[in-house]
Amino acid sequence: MNGWDGFLHGLSVATQPGVLIYCVLGVLLGTFVGVLPGIGAMATISLLLPITYYLSPEAALVMLAGVYYGSQYGGAVASILLRLPGTPQSAITTLDGYPLAQQGRAGVALFTSMISSFAGSMIGILVLILLSGALAQAAIAFGAAEYAAMMILGLVAASTVGAKHPAKSMAMVVLGLILGCVGTDVNSGEQRFIFGQTELMDGINLVALAMGLFGVAEVISNIRVAERTGVPPRVALRDFLPSRAELRRIPFPALRGASLGSFFGALPGTGSTISSFLAYATERRISRRSEQFGKGAIEGIAGPEAANNAAAISAFVPTLSLGIPGDPIMALMLGALVIHGVQPGPMMLDARPDMFWGLIASFGIGNLLLLVLNLPLIGIWVSMLRIPFRWLYPAILIFVSLGVYSVRGSSFDIFAVALIGVIGYALSLARFNPALLLLGFVLGPLIETNLRRALLIGRGDPMVFLQRPIAAAFILAAGALIVMAVVQVLRRRSTDAVETES
Amino acid sequence: MIISRRAALLGAAAMTLCKPALAQDATWPSQPQHVYVGFPAGSSPDLLARIVTEPLAEKLGQPIVIENKPGAGGVIGIQQMLNAQDQKNTFATTINGPLTTAPRLTPSLGYDVAEDIVPVTLIATSPLVLVVAADFPAEDLADFVQAAGKEPEALAYGSVGKGSGAHLTAELFSDRAGVEMLHIPFTSYAEVTTAIIGHEIDCGFMAPSAAMQYVEAGKVKILGITSATPFAQAPGVPVMAGQAGLPDDFRAELWNAFIAPAGTEAATVDTLSTHINAILADEAVQKRLLDMGWQAAGGSAEELQQRIAEDTKVWGAVLDRIDAKE
Amino acid sequence: MKRDIPDLVGGVLLAAIGLFVVFYTLAHYEIGSLRRMGPGFFPTVLGAALALLGGMVALPALARQGEAIHIAWKEGLAVLAAILIFAAGLDRLGLVLVSLTSVLIASLAAPDRRIGWRIVLALVVTALSVAVFSFGLKMTVPLWPGR
Repeated sequence: MNGWDGFLHGLSVATQPGVLIYCVLGVLLGTFVGVLPGIGAMATISLLLPITYYLSPEAALVMLAGVYYGSQYGGAVASILLRLPGTPQSAITTLDGYPLAQQGRAGVALFTSMISSFAGSMIGILVLILLSGALAQAAIAFGAAEYAAMMILGLVAASTVGAKHPAKSMAMVVLGLILGCVGTDVNSGEQRFIFGQTELMDGINLVALAMGLFGVAEVISNIRVAERTGVPPRVALRDFLPSRAELRRIPFPALRGASLGSFFGALPGTGSTISSFLAYATERRISRRSEQFGKGAIEGIAGPEAANNAAAISAFVPTLSLGIPGDPIMALMLGALVIHGVQPGPMMLDARPDMFWGLIASFGIGNLLLLVLNLPLIGIWVSMLRIPFRWLYPAILIFVSLGVYSVRGSSFDIFAVALIGVIGYALSLARFNPALLLLGFVLGPLIETNLRRALLIGRGDPMVFLQRPIAAAFILAAGALIVMAVVQVLRRRSTDAVETES
Repeated sequence: MIISRRAALLGAAAMTLCKPALAQDATWPSQPQHVYVGFPAGSSPDLLARIVTEPLAEKLGQPIVIENKPGAGGVIGIQQMLNAQDQKNTFATTINGPLTTAPRLTPSLGYDVAEDIVPVTLIATSPLVLVVAADFPAEDLADFVQAAGKEPEALAYGSVGKGSGAHLTAELFSDRAGVEMLHIPFTSYAEVTTAIIGHEIDCGFMAPSAAMQYVEAGKVKILGITSATPFAQAPGVPVMAGQAGLPDDFRAELWNAFIAPAGTEAATVDTLSTHINAILADEAVQKRLLDMGWQAAGGSAEELQQRIAEDTKVWGAVLDRIDAKE
Repeated sequence: MKRDIPDLVGGVLLAAIGLFVVFYTLAHYEIGSLRRMGPGFFPTVLGAALALLGGMVALPALARQGEAIHIAWKEGLAVLAAILIFAAGLDRLGLVLVSLTSVLIASLAAPDRRIGWRIVLALVVTALSVAVFSFGLKMTVPLWPGR
């Protein structure tokens, strides 16, 4: 099945009522949690994960993905109206969105963000269709050595590219890798770090870990903060229409942002947050109106919003065609696929075409829905920002606990959520990034088994990683990133020293 | 956990001691029944349990609640059955692992199969098939054994982890055929198949349902099946027993059984066994099981007891062989 | 005195975890050879890496002013207590009672001191969770005490 036929086939899957309804549900819920500062896509997806046990795999994935890209649309709303990023990806949108809102042009800012998000998503979908099939073809030649090397590169990239404190990021990744070792070792059958608990034999529960790190920890840190957020301005539908001059400033930044986003999204380890920052920097550098940036430049919204949405979609390329998640949310998606008995990887296109193409087609439908629904619904989203957090968080806690219990009817997992929640809160206090911990946790067992498998198949010769060109390229790239990070830290330290002397 | 289970067992024992006059509880079943399944809702063992318990509930006149307690290869389901407060109305369905190999592989098992578990009846069995890439230079099992026997570890096989059915079956096969293959553990049949198609490994034993779609796509072929008789879900695949130097009684099957906690009255076991065997005789039920890769089996409690003992011995010897190699 | 306390404490703790992992692994699991890596190989390498990284986080923090942090003690305790009670009580007390209790306890952290909204919220959340999980998703969970 080629890309176009596949997409058409996918449309027939994604428009089945049993799937379509979950697509609608997913994007609405995604927008909702994206709008609300304090709960993000990460927390919501981990919350929904156990509930999807009761759905068909197609419906489940379509819904979870809808939450993800829906939250990217919603994230911009709080950024623009309150200068509070609803999601990390939309943080950059506050820079020009909020000034526009203060000038009474909130509607124009929202319109720009939505239309650019839509454009970015569409380009992301195109890239996904073009790349996935080709990559899956090539990936048949991938052996254990290539997989291990590629995942190591992904982890190194995730913890060094754009990181302020590479050592802290890498420490989180390594801690995640260690937690991933808990449970029965596939190779030896040895039960590692279970301390006599049978419940730990299959490892730490992914849902419990994700809910603790994101759901519970975010609730604790937001109870006080969220009560103090301001009241958003009212926005009427007619405020949306931009002037013709403003309209002309959208297409090219959106196109450039989308290209950047598609590229970085498809690389493992770099995600939508990085691409939105890069898109902003690019627009400011090449704009003739660079003095307007930070005071309400349309380009400063169009570029990053297109970029983060394109990246959100193209991030599915390595996840679906190689089975390697590039960022923490994709790690959760991968977990969801595996829970539903779908093994992502080069064989998925052949083995589960309904799933593969249905999911891609649902991206198109979902984004169209978001565009069509969000213009009339914007008033509702804005009023959502008026719900006090104290009404929401006790419900979140109960749903988190019940959700994790439903995975395997185990109270042990609820206790685990409490413990992990405290750890997650402590990590966020000390500014360690728990998302990297989760990424390491998911990739850890994959890396270990592939590493050991590569050495078993290579009959113990560590040179297998350097003799195979693709694996060698990944390893060298990972090494280069580490060297760059070290150089960067040393350079910053020396400039700090100069500053303190003067 | 162990203490509470022991306490529960003591309690159950005390209860049976207290009422010798009432030789049997004629009122059973007077309450909803609970059947523990050590696998998640929607998994193959769970669906199997539901296929059997739906008609069983009708026959008993009481609703049956399936309690999914997945984990540790099915061990947690059995632990939870033994931990349940109401031992009279609590049962479980389980695959073979927790009753045969788990005592060897799981240090913190917390139960003794002979002492704590009462067999009721076998429900169904499932064979494994030997899969190689479509272009593998062997047309039948004899060719394969010859290729594998060229030198030790000439061929590498994939399994779904140490102690898994795929691993143990491959080692049993190697032992009986007199060859030595290199074991490469994976985590799922999908990964094993990908590695076979990508020529990273040579072969693997897997459930017929996991292999058939790739056979149809022309990417892999099947050289034999481990059951004693041909299997409807893998049409045209020859039985391995008696071929290529394998003994005539060569057999390796996964199975699924209905069990009860120790202390369950003989009359209850009889009632359950009779009902379940009647259900398994129904052709519609057999068809539903077969669609999922299970061959309806049935049989008496004694036969199940014997099967547990036999498999514990066979797989125990295979585990000895694996330990000796490492 | 300049100290970046969060980084210092965090780094030291991570280094300690790393060392613990190394020693625990060496004591319990086989390292194996490169060809047949034992179950201890990967954790040992990771533990050592974590110890190293923890040190790299902690050391510079000794000579640097950190940002002040505010620990939300009250919120954290209320949330923790709510989840623990839910975990301990679900199988024994049933969903209805345990959900009512947990919502009330969790709501203690909210700045709004009044009582009425808490009761309404507890009732609404309990009704919702019974409706969604027990009736909607048909999850096997006890609703009332005793099975």
